[in-house]
Amino acid sequence: MEITLKVFRYNPEKDAKWHYETYVIEGQPTDRVLDLLEYVKGYIDGTLSFRRSCAHGVCGSDAMRINGRNRLACKALVRDVGTKITVEPLIGLKVIKDLIVDMEPFFDNYKKILPFLINETPPPADGKERYQSPEDRAIFDDTTKCILCACCTTSCPSFWANDDYVGPAAIVNAHRFIFDSRDEAANERLKVLNSMFGVYRCHTIFNCTEACPREIQVTKAIGEVKMAILRGKIK
Amino acid sequence: MQSRPAPQPGLTFEYLMWLFIRISGLGLYLVALVGVTAALVMGARTQLDMGTLIRWTFFPNSGHVANAGVDLELGWVSLLWQIMQGMAVVFGVTHGMNGLRNILEDFISNKGTRLVVRVIIILLWILFLYAAFTLVLSDTL
Repeated sequence: MEITLKVFRYNPEKDAKWHYETYVIEGQPTDRVLDLLEYVKGYIDGTLSFRRSCAHGVCGSDAMRINGRNRLACKALVRDVGTKITVEPLIGLKVIKDLIVDMEPFFDNYKKILPFLINETPPPADGKERYQSPEDRAIFDDTTKCILCACCTTSCPSFWANDDYVGPAAIVNAHRFIFDSRDEAANERLKVLNSMFGVYRCHTIFNCTEACPREIQVTKAIGEVKMAILRGKIK
Repeated sequence: MQSRPAPQPGLTFEYLMWLFIRISGLGLYLVALVGVTAALVMGARTQLDMGTLIRWTFFPNSGHVANAGVDLELGWVSLLWQIMQGMAVVFGVTHGMNGLRNILEDFISNKGTRLVVRVIIILLWILFLYAAFTLVLSDTL
């Protein structure tokens, strides 16, 4: 089948302004958008730039706007997005070249919530792991699935407006540790999220939940963090 | 899972306003419900049309009733209804102005600009409350 692929192009060394280029190529309904981009890069225009790594929906490198919606190019099939496909970089982050955006503001916000296990209590005497019941694990199971692709954060109008807002991905990762029974730094994380650019910039519009390629209930997780602040306890 | 040690994130301005927005939202529903129910019981069923009833509920100035050509009764202008009116005004104006602040501040990262916007919003908030309460207090009959 014939596929019309319209791609956002911008080379800061050559272009005064961004533009779109359209490629008409042959493809299959089961092709992924990433396959189409690889084809263009390999056979039509080697200067096309985009990030990709595992190409199997795990690394989160190839997040981009496909037909106006944030998706992973490696998980978006032609049969799902149609034969007229527009591919653009994520919005809310500065474009470096073509489909590559500067992820630094995203990761700066991620670092603010201390995304690592903090436990000052000495490990068990037998030197083995700190046990956690399946029930305790289930509480934050959903938010462990985050691959930091930035689909959620860059679908959030509050983040578009102001990248000081920590964004949904940072809150999801804070949730992952705040609700972990082995972690002891919920206070520090909640202090960050209880600030002007913490959870209160979330206006519950659910774009993040819609955008997440891992189907994490992002808005629900943000709501649970708000409730933890409100109730003063973690359950 | 047992509740773990209570986090103490502190009472921040954003937290308090977030909480206020929810409480005042519910409060407005309560005021409206009580207002509509009481008005119907007091005779609005036969003497007020729907538009007048809703205006009176959210801003029960006796002028609304007078304009409707209904004989004024003490029930419309008693202290109870002035308190209800006051609650509707305070909740409504503060809820709305804080919503405006919240949305504007989504777009403001500069501290100076944020301060200017906050001052303007506070002045507007005071102006609206003053205007509303002037109407309430002048409505003593």
